[in-house]
Amino acid sequence: MEGGLAHRRALDYADRDPRGPIPQEAEITTGRRVEPGRAYGFFTDTTLCIGCKACEVACKEWNQLPADHLGLTGHSYDNTGHLGAHTWRHVTFNEKIGKDGRRATTMPPYQSHWLMMSDVCKHCDPAPCLEACPTGALFRTEFESVVVQQDICNGCGYCVPACPFGVVELSVEDGKAHKCTLCYDRLKGGLEPACAKSCPTDSIRFGPVEELLEGAKARVARLHAQGQPAAYLYGAPGTPRATGGIGRLNAFFLLIERPEAYNLPPAPSRPAPRALPSILSGLAAVAGLAAAALLIGVGRR
Amino acid sequence: MNEATRPEGWSGETYHGRPVTKASSFDWKVSAYIALLGMAGSAQVIAAVARRAGGRRARGLVRRARLVALAGSVVGPLVLIQHLKTPSRWYNMLRIVRPTSPMSLGSWLLTAFGGLSALTALGALFGHRSRLARRVADAAQLPAAAAGAGMSVYTASLLSATSTPLWAAAPGPLAAQFGAASMAGAASALALAQRRAGEVGSARRLERLAALAAAGELAASLLAERRWREAGVGHAAQRGRAAPLLQGAKAGGMALPLLAHAVSGRRSGLLPELASLALILGGAALRHGVLQAGNESACRPEDAFRHADPRRRR
Ligand code: SF4
Repeated sequence: MEGGLAHRRALDYADRDPRGPIPQEAEITTGRRVEPGRAYGFFTDTTLCIGCKACEVACKEWNQLPADHLGLTGHSYDNTGHLGAHTWRHVTFNEKIGKDGRRATTMPPYQSHWLMMSDVCKHCDPAPCLEACPTGALFRTEFESVVVQQDICNGCGYCVPACPFGVVELSVEDGKAHKCTLCYDRLKGGLEPACAKSCPTDSIRFGPVEELLEGAKARVARLHAQGQPAAYLYGAPGTPRATGGIGRLNAFFLLIERPEAYNLPPAPSRPAPRALPSILSGLAAVAGLAAAALLIGVGRR
Repeated sequence: MNEATRPEGWSGETYHGRPVTKASSFDWKVSAYIALLGMAGSAQVIAAVARRAGGRRARGLVRRARLVALAGSVVGPLVLIQHLKTPSRWYNMLRIVRPTSPMSLGSWLLTAFGGLSALTALGALFGHRSRLARRVADAAQLPAAAAGAGMSVYTASLLSATSTPLWAAAPGPLAAQFGAASMAGAASALALAQRRAGEVGSARRLERLAALAAAGELAASLLAERRWREAGVGHAAQRGRAAPLLQGAKAGGMALPLLAHAVSGRRSGLLPELASLALILGGAALRHGVLQAGNESACRPEDAFRHADPRRRR
């Protein structure tokens, strides 16, 4: 074949209707097939992020999410503000122009003074939103992602305060909870999620979590060797103290600053285990008062 | 691996002062539900105790307690459904059982409580005519009381099982607070009813119970405040929008009526009735204040970061 730009697999389908997808297109764009029964996720490497927001745009386009937050926030280049019902990718911008009240005069390598990170639903395992959902609208898919079934959600809103990362939100338009689906529909069709596919620097990488993790660890080691000793993984399975109580985040991050610089909680915790000690103390209080009522002789004249 | 470079606790930095977590959509309808069903639940506990301690002499009180429970379990769910953003799908609450979700278990508990309360209400409504109704009601009384105890407190567990800093920081005290407030509310409502019915002696006993519950409510409130202070998440409750409501509930809805009940002794008349009313309203104000303050704390990144500080985790 002439040229050499097209992938070998793409050439296999040259005679297909170009408007339809190539089967297992993810194999071309990520080198990995998308198969049910495996855990897929994102590895977001912030040292590669250039803050172009292509991921935000691709996400809105593919998922047909309406525009919101029109206007300027004054928070660096972050005019998106936060993740929400209609915003499933959010690029954070944090300008570190100085330290301790003094202007910075030296520049560490990689995202020197400008921290950028594309935030997203972490597809936690276990997922606090899913554990809270009373209707079963939130469920874990065959790709280990966490998705809201729109035809079941009744808008009780309990998943919203349950999420330790402030991701899921109720839409005022339709009264249902919405969040990133890890492009469930695309995965079913063998396509890489829209944000990862659109990322020009491969800061967002999509793939099987185990494989992403290996690559991420190698990346951390390489950055350490190249003079960025602060690089570490946030939310990766088995990372000490990364996710306090939540086993792992299927969407995890490589950071070079403290988590709060990217608006990430340093040690998020699983909310569900707080219910049992709570209910027991409450029942003890009621039982005590019932016993007191018996002693007082409530019911006698 | 990366442990050496992993940042320890929270540094005090926020991301442009933006919230980390999102606030719940729980509004006055939810606080009204919590207060109503708490009272209904505790009324069943009182009905069971009265049935045991008073036997046939307690007939009037038991009947009124069962009616309070019935009223609560009819009105409460209707109010709660209105809080859903898609109320037409309320029945999806009973689509699955999710053991990790206090809201799921609570929905089933509410259903059971409603059913049992309907059974005990049979006794209240038809007991004087039908022996069968009396039998059924008496058989359902103990399970109804058990479900009622759950109804009195599960809403606090529901709040604590979230990432909202204020609710998550004090799971135990919050539930004790809600439970005591439920008992105080139920005892006060029934005391009012007993006074209206002319059963002053019985009303006095209920008022004593309400006073005890108010003392418990007050103690649990102080404990919750201490937990909030220790966790550094108490700002919304102490200085936020809900602070006046919470302070008012403590003073006017717990301490003052407690005092009033203590000094009114055997006297009848306006003072004990006012105190009962204040206890009912105080319990409702407490629930609404906790709800509001929690929603505010969820929007404060300082609270969220302190709550998620690794130094706080063992
Ligand atoms: S980040 Fe929040 S919304 Fe996403 S899976 Fe975890 S708890 Fe659910």
